[in-house]
Amino acid sequence: MFDRLEIFQKAQAMAFHAGARQSAIARNIANADTPGYRPADVKPFAEAWRDVNNDFAPRQTRASHFLAGGTGTMVAEVVAAPTEGASAPNGNGVSLESEMVKSAEVRHQHDMALAIYGSALGILRAGLGRSR
Amino acid sequence: MSDLSQTLALSASGMQAQSARLRHVSENIANADTPGYQRKLVSFQGMVEDGRRTGQVEAGPVKLDRTTLTRIYDPSHPLADATGHYDGSNVDLVIEIADAREAQRSYEANLRMFDQARQMQSSLIELLRR
Repeated sequence: MFDRLEIFQKAQAMAFHAGARQSAIARNIANADTPGYRPADVKPFAEAWRDVNNDFAPRQTRASHFLAGGTGTMVAEVVAAPTEGASAPNGNGVSLESEMVKSAEVRHQHDMALAIYGSALGILRAGLGRSR
Repeated sequence: MSDLSQTLALSASGMQAQSARLRHVSENIANADTPGYQRKLVSFQGMVEDGRRTGQVEAGPVKLDRTTLTRIYDPSHPLADATGHYDGSNVDLVIEIADAREAQRSYEANLRMFDQARQMQSSLIELLRR
């Protein structure tokens, strides 16, 4: 049961996804004045997790049963965002305001992932009888 | 983890490009009264390494603005021609100040992204300490 704790895998994948999204946002902001640049974004975490791990697979109750499902790995796929607003005369499509909002979301997601990981680790430690 | 390190490089390249842009703006403003001065334009381009786009940005080659220079009337000037006019510069201070403001705004946005990536990285390492 302890060889594959899903909460740790999920928290780790969520933090990884937040890091990949932060990278895409930084790329957009750095290219905010480059002519002809289209902004890129990453698929939302729930979608990306579902793509790799089939959440509706039957749970494995004995090690001998064959489990057909994902291994809990995460792939953060970068896609070009659809043009929602008007682009600048030089063809640039980056909006600094929406990038800032996205970066606040990313920060929140990353902090939540680390908090979940930390508290799950604390529960394990409490189970072992260690206070910290 | 390598994504966050890449983020630092991306934001740093953005900051360098914006400060190069600001440097050219201040050159233009300083030479606003120089006779015959053509203002410098710089446009950004994506950096290419080994044939692939790294996502980083750099300031491209400097171009000169080809609009006509203003003709200033001053017969006492040493460069004045027969009609008493001489060529000034084609720098418009309003445009330069607006450009400087936008360069500053983009610079601060890049700096904020840099700081956030750095904080995310250090909170990951903090997790190991507990």
